[in-house]
Amino acid sequence: MKFLVLLLILFTSCANGEKSLEVERGNTRYGGYLAFASVSDPKSFNPVLAKETSTTSITGLIFEGLTRVNVYTKEAEPNLAKSWQIKRGGKEWVFYLREDVKWNDGVPFSADDVVFTFNSLIYNSKIPSSASDVLKVDGEPFKVEKIDDYSVRFTLSSNYAPFLMAMGTDILPKHILADVVKADKFNSFWTLDSTPSGIVGTGPFKLSRYIPGQLVELVRNEHYWKKDKDGNSLPYLKGVRFLVVPNSDTALLKFLDSEIDYYSLRGEDYAILKPEEKSKGFKIYEVGPAFGSSFITFNQNNSINPKTQETYIDKRKLEWFRDRRFREAVSYALDRSSIIDIVLNGFGYPQSGPLSPSSGYFYNSNIEEHGYDLDRAKELLSDIGFSDIDSDGILEDKSGEDVSFNLFTNAENNVRVKIAELIKEDLINVGIKVNFLPLEFNNLVTKLSSSYDWEAIILGFTGGIEPHFSSNIWLSSGHLHIWYPKQERPATSWEAEIDKLFKDGVQALGRKKRKSIYDSWQEIASRELPLIYTAIPESIFAVRDKFGNLDPNPYGGVFHNIEEIYIINKEE
Amino acid sequence: MLIYILKRFLIALPLILVISLVAFLFINLTPGNFFNQMRLNPQISEETIEKYIELYQLDKPVLMQYFAWLKRIIHLDFGYSFAYNIPVAKVLGTRVLNTLLLTLSSLFFTWLVALPLGIVAAVKVDRAWDRLISFLSYVLLSIPTFFMAFLLLYFAYLAGILPLGGMVSANFTELSLFFKILDLFKHLIIPTLVISLGAIASLVRIMRGNLLEVLRSNYILALRARGISEKRVTYVHALRSAINPLITIFGYQISGLLSGAALTEIICNWPGLGSLMLSAVRSQDIYLVMGSMLVSSVMLIGGNLIADILLGFADPRIRVK
Repeated sequence: MKFLVLLLILFTSCANGEKSLEVERGNTRYGGYLAFASVSDPKSFNPVLAKETSTTSITGLIFEGLTRVNVYTKEAEPNLAKSWQIKRGGKEWVFYLREDVKWNDGVPFSADDVVFTFNSLIYNSKIPSSASDVLKVDGEPFKVEKIDDYSVRFTLSSNYAPFLMAMGTDILPKHILADVVKADKFNSFWTLDSTPSGIVGTGPFKLSRYIPGQLVELVRNEHYWKKDKDGNSLPYLKGVRFLVVPNSDTALLKFLDSEIDYYSLRGEDYAILKPEEKSKGFKIYEVGPAFGSSFITFNQNNSINPKTQETYIDKRKLEWFRDRRFREAVSYALDRSSIIDIVLNGFGYPQSGPLSPSSGYFYNSNIEEHGYDLDRAKELLSDIGFSDIDSDGILEDKSGEDVSFNLFTNAENNVRVKIAELIKEDLINVGIKVNFLPLEFNNLVTKLSSSYDWEAIILGFTGGIEPHFSSNIWLSSGHLHIWYPKQERPATSWEAEIDKLFKDGVQALGRKKRKSIYDSWQEIASRELPLIYTAIPESIFAVRDKFGNLDPNPYGGVFHNIEEIYIINKEE
Repeated sequence: MLIYILKRFLIALPLILVISLVAFLFINLTPGNFFNQMRLNPQISEETIEKYIELYQLDKPVLMQYFAWLKRIIHLDFGYSFAYNIPVAKVLGTRVLNTLLLTLSSLFFTWLVALPLGIVAAVKVDRAWDRLISFLSYVLLSIPTFFMAFLLLYFAYLAGILPLGGMVSANFTELSLFFKILDLFKHLIIPTLVISLGAIASLVRIMRGNLLEVLRSNYILALRARGISEKRVTYVHALRSAINPLITIFGYQISGLLSGAALTEIICNWPGLGSLMLSAVRSQDIYLVMGSMLVSSVMLIGGNLIADILLGFADPRIRVK
């Protein structure tokens, strides 16, 4: 198959050999632009201060880290560092840097830049960097020292298993930023009104133009270090453009109209795009489960509100929510296949554990799945002592009051609102009444993080491949341990168990050992159901039929190897 | 007249002050703050978020924040946007220009088309032309703007001539000046139509109604009795008085120049104030919201003032009062 593709590429590039005059060293792969749609403007061009994806999708092309994640093995692989050595049982790491790397202004890259990035930027207490939390072990920063121009030593206060993964953080140029930091101006540096050429990274592209609300244009970095196997310098593309298109229906039309080359499909778009595939010249890739999750969670916070001297929610309900059988019954009562059919238009998978099947190595495929089983759900509910005394179809608890709860989600998320409607119907089938109320996002977050006055919430987290990076969710002391955040000591034995697993998991260095630790975590999570997962969408991408070296992947997306991607048919 | 204008100015100042105070309090009444969206990111610790809140002084009492803001406004400093980390004036600048480009072109187009059509409808009252124009304006009046936007975008997609939303094409940067202007013009057509069509429809109705009313009044009858030609009666005498009420409408349209196009902007992907404001309000980017609110209220008050002044010029009865 690969051979065939290669032949095809050879054939097409021969056929167009005469036409495309944009040739560098006789190679026809060079040239052309790739056009994306971005939901919003970038917010900054400063990768250290970047807070959201419309910014990082752009800075990610301009800057690079010492390592990068291999999208197939999901392990860290060399990038700006060509190799590394582990010493003292994982507490000391020595990185050997590539010597052929230059910043896009032509200045050579060296160990000074790495040391500067960590010591003067990421660990600088005056700079609010969202990356700094991942680059600490037990709240302690790493000690970063230069050994010589091309080697750097990192000393850790204790073992940190995701260390190599964390080393993917972007490295910034000392020769540009040293003075800026000294003048205390870094927090307002490399903003949207900066001169494009002043933004200096080592990545395959550099910023060339930004028109607010309309367009971000990047062009190839001629100093980029990576070469293809024939020794031609990469990237092949002349540049990349991001058109700002806030409305996804407009983006869809723009994709059909060939103005953009890539569109990430929602389930409902499939029926529109699939029939046009041939005539409009694009291809739809279904690459597997995505990473985002959607779950329903119940408030289990039984601590006392200092203001009222009572629990944050009704004690009676708290008792149900803290009963595993109740959560299990809800899980059995969820008809996940209808969620997939109705909400995701058939493009999804039932989810039962915290990791996406696409996360690879750490995913535990043996965890217990809760199929749709109304009898089992009813049985569990009557075990708790719920019964329909007044036969109005709604169960009553021991005190004789209706079993009902309020369910919140953020109103602007259509998928969650639809899931909530379905869950409401599913639960009435087993006699639980749900009052669904969509809320404004900030209101919801306030309830979750400070007022704690909620009963049930539908939410989702963007998942990843490294379980430790979700420790703020799973550690009982974590602020995102949303069902009962910031506990002083674990409220239940299973939470204590998960705490221990996460503490072991971050220390253990062998991959196998970590796998078995995180396997047990996933087992406990799917047994105790603090988060009752619903469904995970399929990643579907549509890409215009003109790119070579395309290799879509659920983790990396379509353009994870953007420096190697080239345009087969250049229409110019 | 000058004293009148001066008076209006003096009334406007406390009005703006009150508007800004109410707006500021309301944004702060909604739960949470800008940095709430970071709270659900598992990789960001609470300490980091607290650091941001402290840095932007969101931990201070609301009134203190308001007066600090007010103090800066007096020096024409609109503060920083949390999201963009650059001065609010810079974020607003290009957006305001984009919105003005769109709304002014729609305003121009609306009046250019609506006035003649309204006159034709009134002159040819109850004849085929009038019926057609009335029918079309009823249809256009009943289509909501957002739907009209989608409809036109879909037609544009089918026809394949006009660009589908946005303000410039992807290859804008490579074009020569002439083609840049052409490209911009092409992008302007659909959103302009979306905003104008509804406005044209209602303006045609008003123009027709006004002119008919005037044409049926006694002094027109008197003019006709004096033997003045029908053309002169209609286009010189009747038209002038029929247009008077429209001047007020024109003033109101000026006041809506910055805010009237939000929905169209969002759907047609026009990088104006609309979409910026929506996300700023949603994410509680306070100073950005306040900045644009201030600009909009100045426009509103200014628009009304302009309307009154114009009316004063056109109608001596008002000037005398």
